[in-house]
Amino acid sequence: MTSRVRRLFGRHEMVLLGVTVLLSIVIGALNPAFYSLQNAFDLLKTSVPLGILTIGLLVVLISGGIDISFPAIAVAGMYITCTLAIDVRSLDHLPALLAISTAIGLALGLFNAVLIHFFRLPALIVTLGTASVIRGALLEFVGTRTITNLPPSIIAFSRTNLFEATLANGASAALTVSILFFAGVAIAVALALRYTVIGRGAYAVGADLAAAERVGFNVRRIHLFVYGLMGALAGLVGIIHASIIRNANPLDLDGLELTVIAAAVIGGASITGGRGTVTGALLGVALMVIMDGSLVLVGLPSQWHQVFIGLVVLVSTSITALRTRSARAGEIAR
Amino acid sequence: MHVPRVVIAASLAAVCTLTACSRKAASSASVPTPAHRYTIATVGKVEGIAWFEDMKKGVQKFAADTGQEAFMQSPAQADGAQQVQIIENLIAQKVDAICVVPFSVEAVEPVLKKARDQGILVIAHEASSAQNADLIIEPFDNAAYGRHLMERLAQEMGGEGDYATFVGSLNSKSHTEWVDAGVAYQREKYPKMHDVADKIEDYEDQNKAYQKMKELLIAHPTLKGVQTSAMGTAAGAGLAVEERGLQKQVAIVGTSLASVSGQYIKSGSVRMISFWDPALAGYAMNKIAVMMLEGQKITAGTNLGLPGYESLVQSKDKPNLFFGSAWIDITKDNLDQYMQ
Amino acid sequence: MTPRSSDRPFLSLTAIGKSFGGVRALDDVSLDVSAGEIHCLAGENGSGKSTLIKVIAGVHRPDRGSIAIAGQPVASLTPISAVRQGVQVIYQDLSLFPNLTVAENLAINSLVEHRRTLVRWRDVRRTAEHALERLRVSIDLDRLVGDLPIAEKQLVAIARALLQDARLIVLDEPTTALTGVEVDALFALVRDLQQRGVAILFVTHKMREMLQAADRFTVLRNGRVVESGPAAEFDEARLTHAMTGRAIGETRFDGRVDASAPPRLRIRDLTGPILRGVTFDVRPGEIVGLTGLLGAGQGELAARVAGLETSGTGEIAVDGAPLPACTVRAAARAGIGYVPEDRLREGLFLDRSIADNANASSLRALTTGLRLLSTRRMRSQADRWIHDLGVKAPSIDAPVRQLSGGNQQRVVLARVLATRPKVLVLNGPTVGVDVGAKEEIHATIRQLAAGGLAVLIVSDDLPELVQSCSRVLVFRHGRVTAELGAAALTGDALQEQLSAAH
Repeated sequence: MTSRVRRLFGRHEMVLLGVTVLLSIVIGALNPAFYSLQNAFDLLKTSVPLGILTIGLLVVLISGGIDISFPAIAVAGMYITCTLAIDVRSLDHLPALLAISTAIGLALGLFNAVLIHFFRLPALIVTLGTASVIRGALLEFVGTRTITNLPPSIIAFSRTNLFEATLANGASAALTVSILFFAGVAIAVALALRYTVIGRGAYAVGADLAAAERVGFNVRRIHLFVYGLMGALAGLVGIIHASIIRNANPLDLDGLELTVIAAAVIGGASITGGRGTVTGALLGVALMVIMDGSLVLVGLPSQWHQVFIGLVVLVSTSITALRTRSARAGEIAR
Repeated sequence: MHVPRVVIAASLAAVCTLTACSRKAASSASVPTPAHRYTIATVGKVEGIAWFEDMKKGVQKFAADTGQEAFMQSPAQADGAQQVQIIENLIAQKVDAICVVPFSVEAVEPVLKKARDQGILVIAHEASSAQNADLIIEPFDNAAYGRHLMERLAQEMGGEGDYATFVGSLNSKSHTEWVDAGVAYQREKYPKMHDVADKIEDYEDQNKAYQKMKELLIAHPTLKGVQTSAMGTAAGAGLAVEERGLQKQVAIVGTSLASVSGQYIKSGSVRMISFWDPALAGYAMNKIAVMMLEGQKITAGTNLGLPGYESLVQSKDKPNLFFGSAWIDITKDNLDQYMQ
Repeated sequence: MTPRSSDRPFLSLTAIGKSFGGVRALDDVSLDVSAGEIHCLAGENGSGKSTLIKVIAGVHRPDRGSIAIAGQPVASLTPISAVRQGVQVIYQDLSLFPNLTVAENLAINSLVEHRRTLVRWRDVRRTAEHALERLRVSIDLDRLVGDLPIAEKQLVAIARALLQDARLIVLDEPTTALTGVEVDALFALVRDLQQRGVAILFVTHKMREMLQAADRFTVLRNGRVVESGPAAEFDEARLTHAMTGRAIGETRFDGRVDASAPPRLRIRDLTGPILRGVTFDVRPGEIVGLTGLLGAGQGELAARVAGLETSGTGEIAVDGAPLPACTVRAAARAGIGYVPEDRLREGLFLDRSIADNANASSLRALTTGLRLLSTRRMRSQADRWIHDLGVKAPSIDAPVRQLSGGNQQRVVLARVLATRPKVLVLNGPTVGVDVGAKEEIHATIRQLAAGGLAVLIVSDDLPELVQSCSRVLVFRHGRVTAELGAAALTGDALQEQLSAAH
C-alpha cells in the first residue's frame, strides 16, 4: 500500500501537493468562500480544457518533443466543426461533433508528427509553423466571424450537469458533465503510459532516442502516437471550450500554450524529455487553476495578479531545482 | 471586433440622406464631380478583420458620395513596422491627405512628421496623444463616455449597492480612462454605490472574463452591477450571471457589439452595451480632410453632418483634438435592429 | 558446455577493410574470438578499434573481407541480425534509460521483441530477477538506473545483454569510469561469463587491465593488426611497443626533495562532509599522490584545496599564508592551480582555439594599460606553453575539439600553468589518455615539480601513482590510512592498501 502511494506521489509530487495545499489554506483563510461548493465546481470546470491539454502535452514532453500548435488545432477543430454543423443540420448530434473535431485534431497532429519524424525537423519550429498556417488558413478559408448561435447539441451539452444545487441567495451551483471527459482522458493516458509498450516507448525515446532505436522501438509509431494524441485531445477540447464559453471564435485560445506548458513543467515534466507523470500534471493543473482562479476572491488588486502568479511559479519550480542541485552537489564531492 | 451589416447599412443610409440634403440637388444618381479632386488615403491597423473592413466601407461610401479619390489600405499583419512602410509609400505617391489609425502612436510619429513636412495633411483617429497630426478626431471624449456608461449602470442598480469594473488590460489607456471617469462620476453623484473590485483585467479574453465574473460573484454575493470595457467582457460576464440564474439581481453595462453580446441582452443579464461605428469614423476622417484641404476651419461646434458628429467638442488641453459624441447604445428595446 | 576456448571460433573476421572518404580506417584486419575466451583488442585512440567494433555490431559494412558467426559465413550483417545471432556490444554510454527502473531496463528488449501491446509488470519483474540471478548480483530492481553508480549501471547493461542470449559480448572501454576495486569486480564477472562459454571481446587501452584479464591479444595500430597471440607471449613492454610503435621505459620519480625546505602547501585538520581531520604537507618539488576508493575523501580534498568545495573546517596554507576563504578565487590568488577530471565538461571550450583555451585563466595578466587584451601577448604566451608542453597541433588557432585526448589535457595544463601557480592539483590527469601520451604528461609533471612546484595528483591508476609520485596517501572513510613513499611505494603495496581499505 505504502509503496503504491509512493509510486503515485513521487518526491516532486509531494512537494507540489504541499505547495497546493498551503496555497489553498492561505486563500481559504483570506476568504472562506474559497471552500464553497460553488467555487469548487467553478474551479473544476475551468480545469477541464487546461487539464486535457496538459495531459496531451505531458505525453509529448515525455517523448522528448514539444508542441505549441495545439491551441490552433483546438480552434480549428472547434470552428470547422461548428461551421459545418450550422450548414448541415443533420450533423447536429454531440457524439458526431465530438468525433469530427477530434478527427480534425488527430489529422493535424499526425501532420505535425510526419514533419517532425520524416523530415527530422525540430518540433518547436514545426509546430510554430503549423500553428501559424492553421490559424491563417482558418481565417482565409473558413471564416473570421465569431459564431454565437452554436449548434443546439453543443448548447445542450453546455447545460448538462452532473450535479446542480440552488444556494441561499438564489444563485445556482453546477458541476459540468465535461469533467467526465477530463477524468476519462487522465485515467486512459495514465494507464497507457504505464501499461502499454508504446507508452513505455515514449519514456525511452524521450530519455535517449538512439538507445531506443537500438533496443528496437518503432520510433515512427511513437512519434505518430504522441503528436496524434495531442492533436486529437486538442480537437476534443475545441468542442468543450465552445460549450463552456458558448461561442466559437476563430481567434480564440491565443497564448494558451504557455499556460499549458507551465502547468506541465510545474507538474514535473521535463522539457528535455523522459520525465513526467499524469499525477504530477494533474497537480500542476490544480495549482495553476487555484492560483489563477482565486486572485479576485482574495481581493488582490489587479496590478499584483501577474506578480503573484510569477512568484508561485518561481517558488514551486525552484524547490525542485534546489533539490536536484543539492543531489548533484553530493555526486561532485565524491 | 465587428459591426453587423445592418448597422452599417442603417448608418450609411443616414449618411447618405444627410449628405444628399446638404449638397443642394447635385445632379441625380451619377457620381458628383468636386471642384478639386483630392487623393486621400486611409490607413488602418490590419487588413481583413471586420472592424477595418467596415471602416473601409465608410471610406468607399465617402468616395462614392463626393467623387473624391478616397481609398483605404492596411497592413496584412497587425504590425507597426508594416504600417509605417505603407505610410512611406503613400508619401512617395504624394497623396493630399493621410487618415491614420495608428497601430502604435510612438511608432508612426516620425513618418507622420515626414508626411507633414512634405505638405501632406495628416488626420489621426484613436490616437489622442499623437504629436504629428494636423487634427485628431475621436468618436467621443473617453471621460464623457465613461460617465455615460456609469449613469446607465446607476439607473439599473437603483443608485445603490456594490459594483465592479473590468478592463481588457491595465495598459489599455482608453479602458482605464472610461472606468476611472465612471468611478469618479459615481462617487460624486451616487454615494450609495460601492466599487468593490476595481479594474479587473481579463486580457481581452472572453473566457477569462467569464471565469473572473464567476469568481467575483462568489467573492461578493451582494454584487449588483458591473461596468465592462473589452468587446467580449460583457458576453463572458453575462454568461456567468446567466448560469448562476442572477439576471434579475446583477446588471452589466459596458462596451461591446450586438453580435458578441446580443444573446445576453436578450436574456437580461447584459442591460446595455455601447460602441462606435468604424464606418462613420472613416467617413468623418475623410470629410474633415477635404474640409481642411479646402481651407475650412474645424472648430468647436463644427457639424460634419454625421450621426454623433453633429457638434464637435474641442479638447481643452489640445486645440487640434476633437471629439464627437458618436456612441451608439443598444438595449433590449432596440436590439433587434442591430441583430442579423 | 565447454569451459575455455573451443576449437571453432564463434566470431571470425577475415581480411576486413574499411575506408571513410579515402581514409583507410581498417586494412586487412583478421580476428577470431572463441566461445569461453577473453580476447583483448588493444590499441591507442585512432587505431581503428571503434570502427572494428562497429563492423562487428553490424553498424558499418566492411568494404572488403568476410565475417563468419558460429562457423556460418554472414553475407551482410545488420545491427538487428547481429543481435539475433548473439552478438551484443556494450558501448561506453551503455545505452541504458536513466529515467526507467532497473527492472524495466533489463526487460525492455523482450518487451519490444515480442511485439506486445501491453506491459505485464509481473513478467518484467520476473525477467529482471532472472537476469540478475544469472549474474549473481543484487541490485534494487525499483531504483532508477540514473540514480545508480556507474559500476552498477554496467552490471545492468551486461545483464541485459545476457538476457538476449548473448554468445559474444563486446565491452568497449568498460573500465573508464570505474575505480580499481570496481574493475576487479568487473573482471571477476567477466571470468564467470567466460566459464559459461560466453566469448568476450574486451576493448581497452589500459595496460594493467589487459594483462590482468586477457587470454589472447590483438593489437591494432593505424588500422592494421600489428600483433596477435596468446596472453602468455605478451608483457607490458611488448604491448606498449606494439601499441605505440616505440619503446617506453619504465621510469620512476627520482627528483630530490629538500626535506628541510618549508612546505609549499600545508593542510591542517581538514574536515568536511567526508573528510575527517586530514593533515599533511607538500614541499616544493614534491609530487604527492592521493588515492582510495570512490568517495573515500581524496576527491573532496582536491576540491577543498581548489576552492570548489566550500563546506567544512580546517586550514589550507600556501607558503605559510593561510587562505582567507574557501573559494575558487581565494585559491587562485594564493597560487593554487586546478586541472579538473572531466576536462571536456569542466575545463575546455571545445570550439575555441588552442590559444583562447590556453589563455582563458590568465586574461588579466595579458591586458594592456587600457585594460584591453593584447593579442600579441596572448599569442606569445600561448606559443610558449604550447611549445613547452609539446602540444601537437597544426597551429595555435586550431579548435581544441580536433586534438587528441592527451593534447587536450596539455592545453588544460597550459592554461593552469599560465597563471604561474605555486601548487598544482591534478584530478585524474591521464584519464582517457593513450599510453604514449600518458608517459609524456608524466614527464611534464615531473619537470614542473623539479621547477619548485608542489603537485597533488588524485588518481586510481596505480602504475601512474607508482611512476610519478614521491609518495602516495591512501584515503579511507575520510582519513589518511596509509602513506607509502620511496622504496615502499610499489604497485603491490598500493593494491594491498586499497584492498584493506575496502
